[in-house]
Amino acid sequence: MQMNVNVDTQTIDPLIFYMTGKQPGNGKDALAGQRPALLAPYADLTRLRYDFPLVLIEGKTDGVPVRSLSDAVDDLLRKIAPPGMESEQLRKMILRIEREIRILAAGGERGHLSELWDKVAARLEKQDESFGKSARIARAALDIDGPVLDCRTGMAADLIAHLWSAVQEDKARRFRTVVSRLAIKLADILRVDDSRSSAGRSATSLQAAVGPAHQSLFDFAAMSKLLPKSSPREALSESRRRRIESALVALKRQRFFAPLSAQAQPDQSVKPYAFRFDNCAAALSAYRQRLPDLAELVKAMSIAELEIDGNYIEGKHDVIFSSFDADSLSARDRVLFPDYLVTLGDGGTPPDNAALMAALSSEVPLKVLLNVGDLFEVTPAGEVNGALGVRSVQLARLATGLGEAFVLQSVSSNLYQLRERISRGLSFGGPALFSVFSGVPAQESSLPPYLSAAAAMQSRAFPAFSYDPSAGPDIASRFSLENNPQPDADWTVQPVEYADPEMQRISQDVAFTFVDFLVCDPRCHRHFVAVPRGFETERMASAAQWIARSPAEQSDIVPYILTVGDDNVLSRAIVDDRAIATARRCLENWHRLQESGGVHNSHAERLLKRERQIWEEQKREELANLKPAAAAAPTVVAPTTTPAQPVAAAPAQEAAAPERSPDEAYIETERCSTCNECTLLNDRMFAYNANKQAYIADIKAGTYAQLVEAAESCQLGIIHPGKPINKAESGLDELIARAQPFL
Amino acid sequence: MTLEATHCLLRMYDDHHNLEDYQGGVPRWCTGCGDNAILTAMQRLCRDNDLRPEKTVFVSGIGCSSRLPHYMRTYGFHGIHGRALPVAEGIKMARPDLNVFISTGDGDCCSIGAAHWIHGVRYNMNMTMVLHDNHVYGLTKKQASPTSPRGLKSNTTPRGSYLEALNPLSVTLGIQNVSFVAQAVDWIPEVLYDILTAAYKHRGFSFVRVIQRCPEFLPKMFDPWLQNPQKTLVLTHERGLRLSPAMAKVYKNQQEHDPLDMDRARQIASIDDPIPVGILYQNPEVPCYEDLRHSGQLRTADYVRAGLEAEFDKFTVWPAEGEQSKPAA
Repeated sequence: MQMNVNVDTQTIDPLIFYMTGKQPGNGKDALAGQRPALLAPYADLTRLRYDFPLVLIEGKTDGVPVRSLSDAVDDLLRKIAPPGMESEQLRKMILRIEREIRILAAGGERGHLSELWDKVAARLEKQDESFGKSARIARAALDIDGPVLDCRTGMAADLIAHLWSAVQEDKARRFRTVVSRLAIKLADILRVDDSRSSAGRSATSLQAAVGPAHQSLFDFAAMSKLLPKSSPREALSESRRRRIESALVALKRQRFFAPLSAQAQPDQSVKPYAFRFDNCAAALSAYRQRLPDLAELVKAMSIAELEIDGNYIEGKHDVIFSSFDADSLSARDRVLFPDYLVTLGDGGTPPDNAALMAALSSEVPLKVLLNVGDLFEVTPAGEVNGALGVRSVQLARLATGLGEAFVLQSVSSNLYQLRERISRGLSFGGPALFSVFSGVPAQESSLPPYLSAAAAMQSRAFPAFSYDPSAGPDIASRFSLENNPQPDADWTVQPVEYADPEMQRISQDVAFTFVDFLVCDPRCHRHFVAVPRGFETERMASAAQWIARSPAEQSDIVPYILTVGDDNVLSRAIVDDRAIATARRCLENWHRLQESGGVHNSHAERLLKRERQIWEEQKREELANLKPAAAAAPTVVAPTTTPAQPVAAAPAQEAAAPERSPDEAYIETERCSTCNECTLLNDRMFAYNANKQAYIADIKAGTYAQLVEAAESCQLGIIHPGKPINKAESGLDELIARAQPFL
Repeated sequence: MTLEATHCLLRMYDDHHNLEDYQGGVPRWCTGCGDNAILTAMQRLCRDNDLRPEKTVFVSGIGCSSRLPHYMRTYGFHGIHGRALPVAEGIKMARPDLNVFISTGDGDCCSIGAAHWIHGVRYNMNMTMVLHDNHVYGLTKKQASPTSPRGLKSNTTPRGSYLEALNPLSVTLGIQNVSFVAQAVDWIPEVLYDILTAAYKHRGFSFVRVIQRCPEFLPKMFDPWLQNPQKTLVLTHERGLRLSPAMAKVYKNQQEHDPLDMDRARQIASIDDPIPVGILYQNPEVPCYEDLRHSGQLRTADYVRAGLEAEFDKFTVWPAEGEQSKPAA
């Protein structure tokens, strides 16, 4: 085969390039400014309405702590500028403001939504006076505010910290409600006891309890003498008072949540604990140091709950609370308290994997954000080798193996879609890991961070998944591949539309592979060589097709990807063997994730195959058995349309009541309505059981005449007198006749 | 309880009560009175659900049935005629943690207390109301009540009552927000107990009409139903009542009825003979008034004082401006 390609006056053989990765020697990056063909429509993100920027809502959130700017503006439009001619101008102006804010945010401008809104509105008003009024109308109707956050490096930390704060604020609100109630109720117990004490009943106290306008009407001294005689003398025991007082102090001095007011925390020197850390070791250390305080607080709350409900029994509970310590805390109790947020990888320092794994395998409520800044490993010489960095990409998968840690992996561009799942992870009772890739560093990439991050997920380089131990007992319930595009496929496939040299519209399905992601990073361009226009041949196969081929089919053919440059011209770039090898590893990783997510699960498929074989075998046997029988049948039976009736189920066997002899005296106890007729007649012969229903307690404790009389007086007719035991009782013949209807 | 630790401690020393722990005194009802069966069923309910006596309140109005709180060793409020419900609603609003039961009679509920009954159903507060319906005013010695059958001769209707009896089930089922309606008879105690238990466990206002005997003034009224089990129509369903094998053997006239089927419930409610027994209607989705209206505000002493001051201020006659500075005449 001869397939030479001229690259800027140098001729190379694509096959040799593929095999050796050897570039033409002019040192010029022929792929500079090129991006995968599928990213062609996203040249300018500020012209698109999409998830970013976000607004981190401050103040009243109504359970929605974050919104995209587009969503917020859509709400605003629905409210003040519904579709129609009348409000069309207002709609356009509001959408213009939105776009300008997006441009500001993309340019690195920071600030609250209200600030950016005002800034944009003022600038536009200078250009067009009519803008001012519309902007003010819209601004007045805008009911949310907070920092505007674009998809940039560090965005994940800001977003997750914001969502974490929302979860902690919810916890704080619940905790304050509970503790305030407990404190008030405990104080009530003490107050009531004080008012019953001799000091509380003194003339001075009684006088202080009555308004000054009417104090002259009462003789408080006389009342003070009378009261102790007429009211209960029970006072709190000294031990109970001490217990309540110390519980009250513990509730007021707690440092896990900031008090709502200075009044709630009398000791101003006591500052609340901090819960944000930049390494796991510091967070773990803080957690362990605070455990005794936590145990003391839980103990105080538990004592308070028992005391308030009157359930505290000193003989039983004292011994338990005397040994109550950190080991007594249950996971459900720990959930009530703040979680520790650890942000890793923000400063570019790689995390200590061993410490991270140790933290995630503990029961400590750590919420760890792992910022993955770069997916590639850089060699000591500073070269990018193109291999997936095991440390960053595989860490989240390893964490799922720990079993009881919540794990979520995603790219930053996808975080808004996953906001509810993130909140669920932040509310999870145990440790949680959020591994987020924020896009190739800006200085290394030709793409904005949003596109770079999206490309990582699209290409399976950094797929999204979550593992939630609280979702169920098995992997199927816990593991989810949701949010990945086309999770059942190897690569995502999208149509690319372009015009051919004859300017005819062509639509072509193109797979977005890991190799496409590589081409977004100029550091990896040495794994590609651009194919000049007109040098495309049939001996080239798309990278996706090439990877899917068997080795025998790959000979003489080289893989390529479609790229597009700033001039919007579609071209091909040949990929070298190392990049393809990395793409294969990426695909294998994706396959393993798919298996965890129940897609193409090899165990399930093997089981299904085996069951199908067994089923087919059975059917074959049935058919084989039917054939001789059919041959032996003397007549042909007309087919009937009546479906076979199921065999009637055997009637449920009722719990058979014991058959009573008519000679035996008994009561149908379960039918007794407690009318007291029989027990009033003879309460030794007739008695009530634990359900207060009558039975014959002692037949010899009365006469047969009483039995018959009871049967006659029972309105329900459930007393059966049977035959007399004492044959010598007088008037038996008449009694037996009277008893006859009740036997 | 908020803490798992407290739950564990309470579980370690669970208090179990016997029936006697709920018996507050010897009932003064007549021998054979259906109130005895209701009282026993209530005591069994308290025992079997481990209701703490100090967390349980029985509220009643006036009448034979309204003596029930006296015979329960729990908190009780023997109130004024027809006004059991407003009292019970106030208790529930202030103390949602309490188990609130209401005992009322056909006179107390369906006559003088009818307005409260209607709104009690509409409020759908989480409590259980038992209407002891013996079709007559017994405490005042046989006077016709709203549920007395037409033609009943009594001290107030010596020529027989002129009006058709009011049907409490139909009325209740016609009120918005109704969430639980059942009917029992005192002479099938097991079913009575099951229905009261279901009513107690239902979150919302449970209305249970118990048709009961008055052996003193209407001694023969229910004899046909007592003597012939076929004249009792037992409503069964997997979400409703299930008869024990022993009861099923006696009461063979059974019908499957889905308690969510309001239309059928209304049809069944209008049947006089046989007497339908079971859960006619149950909808757990109806919101409770105390949930809708409870402010969640902690009632501190200052908060209560401020509220009282605000209420008193509404009736305060403030001196006109400058009046205080006027010199005395």
